[in-house]
Amino acid sequence: MKTVLVIGGGVTGLKASHELAQMGYNVSLVEKEDFLGGQVAKHKYYKLAPDMRLVSEVLDPVIKNVESNSNIKVLKHSTITALSGNAPEFKVKIKNSKGEAEETFGAIVVATGFEHFDPTVKQEYGYSRFKDVVTNAEVEELLNPNGPTKGELKRPSDGKIPKKVAIFQCVGSRDKQVGNPYCCRVGCVVSTKQAIEIKEKYPDTEVFVYYMDMRMFGRGWEELYGKAMEEYEVIFTRGRGAEVTLKNEQLSLRAEETIMDRPIQHSVDMIILAAGQAPGDGTIEAAKILGIKQNEYGYLAPKDDFLSPNESSKAGIFIAGADKGPLDVENCIVEGAAVAAKVASSLK
Amino acid sequence: MAENTDKMVIDGVELVGIWKEFMPSRILYEDVTTEFLDEVKKLPGGSTIARCYQCGTCTGGCTLPEFVDKFNPRGFINLVRRGHYDILVSDYKDLVWKCVSCNRCTHRCPKGVNTQEVVRAIAKFLEDRKVFGKLTNDEAFDEIFMDEVLTDGRIDEVKIVKDFYSKTGRLKDMMSGDQLSLGFKMFTSGRIKLFGGKIKDWKKVSQRLKEELQ
Repeated sequence: MKTVLVIGGGVTGLKASHELAQMGYNVSLVEKEDFLGGQVAKHKYYKLAPDMRLVSEVLDPVIKNVESNSNIKVLKHSTITALSGNAPEFKVKIKNSKGEAEETFGAIVVATGFEHFDPTVKQEYGYSRFKDVVTNAEVEELLNPNGPTKGELKRPSDGKIPKKVAIFQCVGSRDKQVGNPYCCRVGCVVSTKQAIEIKEKYPDTEVFVYYMDMRMFGRGWEELYGKAMEEYEVIFTRGRGAEVTLKNEQLSLRAEETIMDRPIQHSVDMIILAAGQAPGDGTIEAAKILGIKQNEYGYLAPKDDFLSPNESSKAGIFIAGADKGPLDVENCIVEGAAVAAKVASSLK
Repeated sequence: MAENTDKMVIDGVELVGIWKEFMPSRILYEDVTTEFLDEVKKLPGGSTIARCYQCGTCTGGCTLPEFVDKFNPRGFINLVRRGHYDILVSDYKDLVWKCVSCNRCTHRCPKGVNTQEVVRAIAKFLEDRKVFGKLTNDEAFDEIFMDEVLTDGRIDEVKIVKDFYSKTGRLKDMMSGDQLSLGFKMFTSGRIKLFGGKIKDWKKVSQRLKEELQ
């Protein structure tokens, strides 16, 4: 049976749908929101590291490929509610505003993705208590010309351009306190990218990054880190941000400068929390409905991490992208294509 | 201004729901600044300071720590970059000068920092801020050596040694038996000459050099 259900309309799901449709499969793409593009579109990401490429240059073609392909049926505002049957004949109930309908598919691709970690839990950082403590996702929106501030980094409290910006790394990642001992894999590069964007736009604004390690492992990331230091004079300080308080009506952060053995207090105008990735509600829900295995953090567990990275614990159900663990946009697209190949080879 | 939604002040101490605020602060340093970094960057040789990512290759391979405890090029760079001017002055101002310019750090730096030049620039930066009171032996020697080069174009060892001892107020030490016998041995073996030769028309060169240095 040449029908495939793809759950999730983010970059992974879009890429997988397009590749499968190109190979002649009939794809139904289920997306719970009324737009495609997942977190990338939801938070209006502006530029992509390390090339500073506009997101629209990448996302628009991916969406267009899907929307213009007659083999793909895009079901926005829809969710799956029940699964019965086994491979290669799954019966899935899909619910939308009009009602519920059951359809049959040969295979299922789960590409439900991640959600940004909500730093409210880290109460010492004062997110949601202080207006000028924002997350990196919110900064993406601020820096986007199509965003609420038309691309100006106006701080939420009074709309002024901050003169001193601090960025806290590893918020909600590498942190057993909140149950996420893993590395978010993108925080370092996203913060470096945002620091450069801020310095490019406002050369007078000072940007300070508080980090434990700069994990620049991706293509061109380390070079971007060097560029931030040399060309843009971003100041990187080793030491995790400890807490944020108010001092003389100004945000004041505390940290230890671990290279110098020195606790410091630093007054800034705005603090950006590099919030990591967490498995989205959609991922957890899908795992429950489909009955596939999750790992200890809630991400979907592959059948074998090395040998069958895109197969779930259940035959005929495939997984890809950031629902398996933190991932960047570039690799999500790779995952989308990889899972399409795997589905095609198993659905002959 | 940031808004505080649960502001509460008791006995002048503002509480923001964090218990640590009740306790006396351990904070030693406030308000990080990049002003010193900018200054060092503009000095000759200081421009590569921003490249440093604090790996410690320079200090790890440095010639000096064996002889000068605490000599730490990486540390100097970090102190300047993060604006810890107070530590730089209190703990390191006499150390920064000790670099022997072997350039091992510069050749090994994985990030392309010209470490030796940067350390010199930091020393210059401190000198410009007049943090040195009395001249140390090193500085006195540096000055005399430069003077000698400028006036004669050649090094006259005897004159240098004499000037050095007189500048540091220790002419008596020079006349001690040890020094005299050392001097005699060096003289007889041809290591030093009583009079350094002159260079023809050095005055013109010297004039030009002095202009350049100003």
